[in-house]
Amino acid sequence: MFEAPEIDWLALAPLIVVLGAGVVGVLVEAFVPARARRMTQIVLTLAALAGGFAFIAVLWPQIVVQPVQVVGGSVTLTPFALGAQGIIAVLAFLGVLVVADRTATGQDAFAPTASAVPGTSYEDLARRSGLEQTEIYPLLLFAAGGMMLFASTDDLIVMFIALEVLSLPLYVLCATARRRRLLSQEAAAKYFLLGAFASALFIFGVALIYGFAGSVRFFGDPSRPGVGVLPAIQSGAAQGEGMSVLLVAGVLLVVVGLLFKVGAVPFHAWTPDVYTGAPTPITGFMAACTKVAAVAALVQVLYRVAIGVQTVDPEIMRQLQMVIVVVAVLTMAVGTIVGSVQTDVKRLLAYSSIAHAGFLLVGVAGFNSQVQASTLFYLLAYGIATIGAFGVVTLVRERRVTPGSGEHNGPVGDDGVVLGEATEIAQWAGLGRKAPWLTAAFALFLLSMAGIPLTAGFIAKFGAFTGAASGGLWWLAVLGVLASVVAVAFYLRLLVVMVFQRAQDDPAEPLVKLAETTPGAAPGEAEVSTSGDVSTGATAGAGATATLTTVQVTTAQRIEVTVVRSRGPAAVAIAVCAVATVILGVFPSPVLALVEQASKFVP
Amino acid sequence: MNPYVPILILMAIGAVLALGGVAASAVIGPKRYNRAKLDSYECGIEPTPHAVGGGRLPIKYYLVAMTFIVFDIEVVFLYPWAVDFTTLATFGLVSMLVFLALITVPFVYEWRRGGFDWV
Amino acid sequence: MDITNYVVLAAVLFAIGATTVLLRRNAIVVFMGVELMLNATNLAFVTFARLHGDLTGQVLAFFVMVVAAAEVVVGLAIIVTIFRTRRSASVDDVNLLKG
Repeated sequence: MFEAPEIDWLALAPLIVVLGAGVVGVLVEAFVPARARRMTQIVLTLAALAGGFAFIAVLWPQIVVQPVQVVGGSVTLTPFALGAQGIIAVLAFLGVLVVADRTATGQDAFAPTASAVPGTSYEDLARRSGLEQTEIYPLLLFAAGGMMLFASTDDLIVMFIALEVLSLPLYVLCATARRRRLLSQEAAAKYFLLGAFASALFIFGVALIYGFAGSVRFFGDPSRPGVGVLPAIQSGAAQGEGMSVLLVAGVLLVVVGLLFKVGAVPFHAWTPDVYTGAPTPITGFMAACTKVAAVAALVQVLYRVAIGVQTVDPEIMRQLQMVIVVVAVLTMAVGTIVGSVQTDVKRLLAYSSIAHAGFLLVGVAGFNSQVQASTLFYLLAYGIATIGAFGVVTLVRERRVTPGSGEHNGPVGDDGVVLGEATEIAQWAGLGRKAPWLTAAFALFLLSMAGIPLTAGFIAKFGAFTGAASGGLWWLAVLGVLASVVAVAFYLRLLVVMVFQRAQDDPAEPLVKLAETTPGAAPGEAEVSTSGDVSTGATAGAGATATLTTVQVTTAQRIEVTVVRSRGPAAVAIAVCAVATVILGVFPSPVLALVEQASKFVP
Repeated sequence: MNPYVPILILMAIGAVLALGGVAASAVIGPKRYNRAKLDSYECGIEPTPHAVGGGRLPIKYYLVAMTFIVFDIEVVFLYPWAVDFTTLATFGLVSMLVFLALITVPFVYEWRRGGFDWV
Repeated sequence: MDITNYVVLAAVLFAIGATTVLLRRNAIVVFMGVELMLNATNLAFVTFARLHGDLTGQVLAFFVMVVAAAEVVVGLAIIVTIFRTRRSASVDDVNLLKG
């Protein structure tokens, strides 16, 4: 006879608030008049994330004492899972602040209508009539809700659905950039095709695990004792040769699917392209929050499998550990080595994110219980630095200047149109003089990513490497430190360019760049990438290459790099990230104590 | 009796009806051809040598097709519920109503924003 | 009939789907490969459900179907957008981002 399950609504409250607000956001799109939509959505989104975090805070003392399994483990709220949820909520809040900022140019980073074909009159019309794609806010909420669920379930099917709930909005968001729209759409297509492939691998792995255990839950349902992956492993079902193959193959496929989301080598190919093509605020959100969710899910799956396998078959356990070790080493190597030859800021940050996935995996490979705490701290430190860094990237822009028509340091939009972001590293030269505070914040984020003492990143890396070392993997920890040193070099290279090199467009040494515009596109929408040294007085368009197909040189114009003022939200986000980076680096003990409580992940 | 026999009988009846219809109309139907009848058939639309827009379909088609896919597939959850309707009782009913309400939200969105307007 | 044959069939279909994804150039065909992988998964789920005498697997197949439909819609939207811009659905033409 069927009995209605009892549902612990309080335990679900953070998820319900965030996802429910996403649903309300869709209704807002349907019923609120266009003028009021943007403000309504921003308030709703921020309130939902704050509300979700409030519920997490309320739940915390209770969960630390007694983890909760809702509906037999569909949502398993352990301290680790709840900690990951909290970090995702905080980072998503900061990410949305960056998304919401229209900057002094009055434009956000998103296309007026993402469905319009680039370069058509329809797109032009949509831009001039000031349309806005406010659907991004519900999409962000769905993604954030999916991430929170992804990190806090014991049920592999729920994990799969959460994976899709977090991925599908991100695929769409990637395609919505206001500028460089072809790149943006391309990034979305790549992300989508590879993401769909990875989730297909994941779900086939789940099917094989189900074939092995007759259940897709690790700990199983308390009301049905003996059913579950861990009970199945222990009850000697693993004795039969064929069944054990199912388990190993299934776990490997699931882990591959998760490693893809983490962005670990050899499943990292999408990361640089997607991070470059997506609108920068979305890149920040995605880089920080997805990483938290994916790593949290990976840690839980791996450690739960380990609980079962360790006692039954130490050999398989050792092999599983080797897989993670190899992936960690490869990821660190590719992230740092390929990262050090990048010439684009967004790509550099993308490879830095790959390298960080490697450092995180070093800790995870240690397979000891302290690692949970240090992983959460690492994710927090990395996420804060990432959102802050991408927030800074959104403010460093190109501006077209017609020679002789304006002051060098005139107000934005006065003598030239502000274009897209200036992402070439060479363009960042001299930023230290143009915007000292912004440069200081960016430097702080880079130092934290590099793991310099007195920043959050140092404590984080220390935790990850000691995790590996206490798991008996001394040499892996040493490799991690070596990779960090290489990484320091490439962060410092960017810092040197920003602080010590003179700007290319410094009036003392004028450089002429030619802008090429596409017929039909409005001013400010041409895709121009300036590439280095054009000698003084050059008149040919040698320095500029346009990526659109039909190109025509209109006037000799200079592209200079400018820093646009934030309208508030992004500045707040960057400031909070910078302060948090310092505080976590100097007085980490309160947060460390919190994550220490979170190192329990068995319900 | 083999459980597949009724299915085979059903298939046989279907085949007889379909083939019989075609055969009967070919034998006893009047044959008066004109230009319109010999023309290629395109759902009542005037046939053109080339499809409008170089073989591409209007974007509205994709919009409606995508909407259809989603709403069509979501219905799959109604079947298990319908099978065990009485056992699941109030809990099942409430769950299904919540589910249907959630399905309605994107529908309302698409409807309000003109997704179903054929221009 | 031996029930493991169905598992083998599922694995073969999955492999064909994965090969399609890795080798074909047309985005739509690549995507069909992904769909084939998901359907192979469904076959595996219902087979194992039969094997274990447990209905969970059949319910899971429903979930996979629905997720696949959602994926189709989002994926086709992205592919159609690109197609309208470039008149091509080849993943090789999508090459502005060299990586």
